[in-house]
Amino acid sequence: MNNLALKELLYKLADDQLILGHRNSEWTGFGPILEEDIAFSSMAQDKIGQSLALYTLLQSLGESDPDTVAFTRNASQFHNCILVELPNQEYDFSLIRHFLFDTAEALRFEALTNSSYEPLSQLARKIRGELRYHTLHANTWIKQLGSATEESITRLQKSLDIALPYALGIFELSSLEKELIDQKIFIGENALKEKWIAKIESVLSQTQLRLPDWKTVTPVYGGREGKHSEHLQPLLDEMSEVFRIDPGAEW
Amino acid sequence: MNPKYLTLNSLDPRVNRLPQINEASPKAPLDQFGTFEVFVQPKEGKPFQHEGIVHAPNIELAWVLAKETFTRRFTCTSLYVVDTREVFVSPLTEGANNAYDLISSTDEPGPKKTFEIYHLVKRGKQHVHVGSVLAATPQQAMSEAKKQFNSGKVIYNVWAIASEAIRFTTSEEKELWVTLPDKKFRDASDYKGGDKLKEFLERNQSQP
Repeated sequence: MNNLALKELLYKLADDQLILGHRNSEWTGFGPILEEDIAFSSMAQDKIGQSLALYTLLQSLGESDPDTVAFTRNASQFHNCILVELPNQEYDFSLIRHFLFDTAEALRFEALTNSSYEPLSQLARKIRGELRYHTLHANTWIKQLGSATEESITRLQKSLDIALPYALGIFELSSLEKELIDQKIFIGENALKEKWIAKIESVLSQTQLRLPDWKTVTPVYGGREGKHSEHLQPLLDEMSEVFRIDPGAEW
Repeated sequence: MNPKYLTLNSLDPRVNRLPQINEASPKAPLDQFGTFEVFVQPKEGKPFQHEGIVHAPNIELAWVLAKETFTRRFTCTSLYVVDTREVFVSPLTEGANNAYDLISSTDEPGPKKTFEIYHLVKRGKQHVHVGSVLAATPQQAMSEAKKQFNSGKVIYNVWAIASEAIRFTTSEEKELWVTLPDKKFRDASDYKGGDKLKEFLERNQSQP
């Protein structure tokens, strides 16, 4: 098994979950209604938990321990897509990002239940219920607000248009793509993107939201190889503040 | 105002707010997003119990939000939600008065459907599911419940909900709670705050 390709895959999955988990947790206490605040915060916790599980797999492959990996790297050493590091903005943007990202995430882990790397397929099966909830939550809100009032539709549409180029950045190709596919570790980003487009189209067709011609959307790449927006480093600084003051702190 | 309530003719507003006896009436919702009643099954084989309400624009979102609002800690195997307006409530009693004694027997014509029945056996506790009955109306469901579930033991309140109004958890959706037992970090006791405080105090005392 090609460890380099596998590690690269695990890093991008773990970093996506950690960074979006942190972003979504910024809504805690500020959610639109109490119930949604709790649900969104819980899902943020789930993502951090999933990143921990993935960092633990990396540790078993010889990488540093999860806390060190999560809290001591600089932005250029992170492999998350740029979509997940963008600031929350208004709730409509956070909700659209949640929908676009979590749809891809659920399909990715669904494919990983068949991974030849057994610890990863086990993890994918274990968290299937969590991901099912995340996509159900996203789809239900998008269907509701995507057909509710002129304001809700307009706001979601604007956020969708802004988020789409970044969402396509989730599927940035790796130079080790072929190894992953040949060794049946993962189906590859292109296959995932096709499934994702079909799913996104099927949910949005039940709303008044409109998708542009995919050919006109230019993907924003770079995140997977450490080229990030200016928003990631401040997030990391805040996230690792306590760890840097006292790395051995117990909670 | 319903003229029936005026017949109480009291100057005390609390008396005028009392529900009519011998009449199953819908529970009043709040004046914002609609409210939905949430019922949770803590363990396989245990009855569903009422946990509280969520606000939501529709029943599907109510189910989605109820999941995290009421089942993000402890154990859960299933939950369901129903629009507050679909919950029919009997008079509320106290002391040694059985709510079933205030429910009159009715027989109504028309096609019958299933109603879920809930008991409040202790004031301040939750309503717990006791079974289901077939009836044409909520009033008749109360009357049927009296026949089937009134053991003479004091019940303070009875609820009846048409099964068709409930958003149940599907068997596939039960996987939503698979990882819940791992989430000890959501439980305050997992942080052993008391032990840490004790340790801190002892450490400070031992210093001059």
